[in-house]
Amino acid sequence: MNFSLWQISPVILFMIFIAPVTIVLFSLTGDYSENWLHLYNYVLMGYIKNSIYLVLGVSFTVCIVGVGTAWIITNYDFSFKNFFEWALILPLAVPPYILAYTFTGLFDTFGTANNLIREIFDLSRDFTFFPKVRNVPGAIIVFSFTLYPYVYLVSRMAFINQSRSIIEAGRTLGLNKFEVFYKLAVPMIRPAIIGGLMLVVMETISDFGAVDHFAISTFTTGIFRTWYGMYDIETAMQLASLLLLFAITLIIIERYSRRNASYSNAMSLYKPLSHEKLRGFKNFLAFLACFIPIFIGFILPVVELTYWALNYKLDFFNEKFISTAWNTFYLAIIAAFFCSVLAVLINFSIRYKSNNYLKFMSSFLTVGYAVPGLILAIGVMQMLTFIDKSFVSNIPNIVFTGSIFGLVLAYIIKSYALSNSTIDAGYQRINERIDDVARTLKTSGWSLLSQVHLPLLKTSFLTSMLLVVSEVIKELPATLILRPFNFDTLAVYTYIYAAEERMYDAAAPSIAIVMVGLIPIIILTRMIRRSRPASRY
Amino acid sequence: MASLEVKDLSHSYIRGKSVLKEINFSLEAGEILSILGPSGCGKTTLLRIIAGLEKETSGSVNIDDHIISDHLHTVLTENRNIGLVVQERALFPHLTIINNVMFGIKETKSKKYEIAMRLLKLFKVDKYAYNFPNEISSGEQQRVAIARAMAPNPGILLMDEPFGTLDQSLTHQLRTETRKILKDNNTTAIIVSHDFDDAISMSDKVIVIDDGQIVQSGSAKDITHISPEKSLKLGSIISNS
Repeated sequence: MNFSLWQISPVILFMIFIAPVTIVLFSLTGDYSENWLHLYNYVLMGYIKNSIYLVLGVSFTVCIVGVGTAWIITNYDFSFKNFFEWALILPLAVPPYILAYTFTGLFDTFGTANNLIREIFDLSRDFTFFPKVRNVPGAIIVFSFTLYPYVYLVSRMAFINQSRSIIEAGRTLGLNKFEVFYKLAVPMIRPAIIGGLMLVVMETISDFGAVDHFAISTFTTGIFRTWYGMYDIETAMQLASLLLLFAITLIIIERYSRRNASYSNAMSLYKPLSHEKLRGFKNFLAFLACFIPIFIGFILPVVELTYWALNYKLDFFNEKFISTAWNTFYLAIIAAFFCSVLAVLINFSIRYKSNNYLKFMSSFLTVGYAVPGLILAIGVMQMLTFIDKSFVSNIPNIVFTGSIFGLVLAYIIKSYALSNSTIDAGYQRINERIDDVARTLKTSGWSLLSQVHLPLLKTSFLTSMLLVVSEVIKELPATLILRPFNFDTLAVYTYIYAAEERMYDAAAPSIAIVMVGLIPIIILTRMIRRSRPASRY
Repeated sequence: MASLEVKDLSHSYIRGKSVLKEINFSLEAGEILSILGPSGCGKTTLLRIIAGLEKETSGSVNIDDHIISDHLHTVLTENRNIGLVVQERALFPHLTIINNVMFGIKETKSKKYEIAMRLLKLFKVDKYAYNFPNEISSGEQQRVAIARAMAPNPGILLMDEPFGTLDQSLTHQLRTETRKILKDNNTTAIIVSHDFDDAISMSDKVIVIDDGQIVQSGSAKDITHISPEKSLKLGSIISNS
């Protein structure tokens, strides 16, 4: 194997990955149009205000729900605890835009829930029992109950690693159970919570589907309107740059908090936390605290969607659905395959050449995960337009803009972090002495990769594929912008029907998205069980 | 089989802090050398430099009078014709025992099989040929690891703490068998160990390393009959291990 290939390829990849984001940021140095002035004078403050309200409201709620449930699950024994332990992650399978669609279908004036109340109590048609949900508080509920698992997961892992000795020391120093929780246990895992919270905030500010459906003006809806309403791509990019700068700040905070996360388990002697058995009313309260988030974030949308799909539109399994599902499936498989292959090649390069510079470059390749899909799509679109104009304009029948290529590229950049972490974890499990021995047996470079590493990375490779497939299937804004003409995916199909308020038609693709979203949940649950420092407890 | 010469070899990971200092020794074809010393004295690093898995800071390594590593030349590990056995055994978990042993042999399929089976029989593990590494005991895994390293007929066989994780009776049995096989095949071998008995019972020559330097060298017989003050020094080095 050529020595330099293992070093040059990550550099080329780095440039491809970073180009779309750079193009977007570069727009800040360009001219500002009249549209920008209009946005600045009349709507920008509204975008900022709504985004801040959303971020604050969602952060507060996910902290309460995520940390609270993690503490209850880790410290107490109560009815259905084993079920809740993994089921609390289930809402991750439901993208916020799908919960938003079901919320409006349920709680709008003539939604299922209000109709039911009117029927039961024989009330007039103008009576509405449930408050309106198409507003900022409604969006806060939607985001909080689909995104809290990020905080739940990191808090649960951090609480598991906390030693009983510390908690017992707190009790002997006069703290009651609640004080132990908020004065000792929570501050100790603060970096982990901040890390999880940053992911939640990133997802909130980069969402398009839910806020668009609720008609809330935020940066993402503003970018969309500027582009598709005013046909002003420059201003849309400038708006996107502001959002990107905020996202970069969040990435830095998240990376920094992850680096500090180790202080939560910096004890030399580990004793697993003991479980207190709850009975009676306390048992019921713990059950309720864990049940409500799952009910709002998973059971309610799944039941509602299934009801719509089965009782209203039995012919959902039609030709259109099948062709859309097929589009989604093959796009996801292509993106997942390339993502996983790239992750294997990059991680192999790092290991094979023991090169810190490659490692440093690789960490940048994972940043795409935090870049909002909308911004990434704009950047990819601009990059492809530039390539089309500059390099392939003379070649007939080759146009990258508006092709599957751009879509797959955006998916790869967005999902590479998932593949990288999975393959990296797979490599950690392969003893480096195996490489040493293989090299003495005249096996190096490609042979080492294909004959030794790849067979050992089979499970990690498949896991990586599954994670990327489920991520790609959910992706909405990037697909909306980059999809070729007349090319729909399940997410786009759902969005278009929901935008036309045809919720029953949106049900079948929504269920398909949720079902595929369950795959990483199952994988995550297995990983958590395996990662425990002590035996199952 | 090949001869080996290590000349003025020094190595440091951090500038100014040497792990190996001016190491000199030579080995004739078919000889077995033991490198003794406490943990962290640099003996594994020396083995890795000979294997080409690390690059020395200065000095040279010659095999059959050809320079394979100095400040100008570096022959890649895969081209040095060296076999390596590590304490962790590092068997390929996805391959059966026979496939592990056949892995490094560059011959036709039937020839590969023939060589591998002969070695498995020699090491008395042929009945596990179609098992996977996790299905056999650690002693059997160690035999397979040695058989695999010997299968491509390496010029020199390097063994890093080959019996380190095995119990005493198994160690005794295995080192007697391994020495016999190495001698019968006229294999040049270097065994790194912190166990005095391993070194004496298996090798023709012994060198003792402490703090990156050779503090004692000679035939295995010489080492067992050394002066009282040297014996005291050697004893303290070995007991530190």
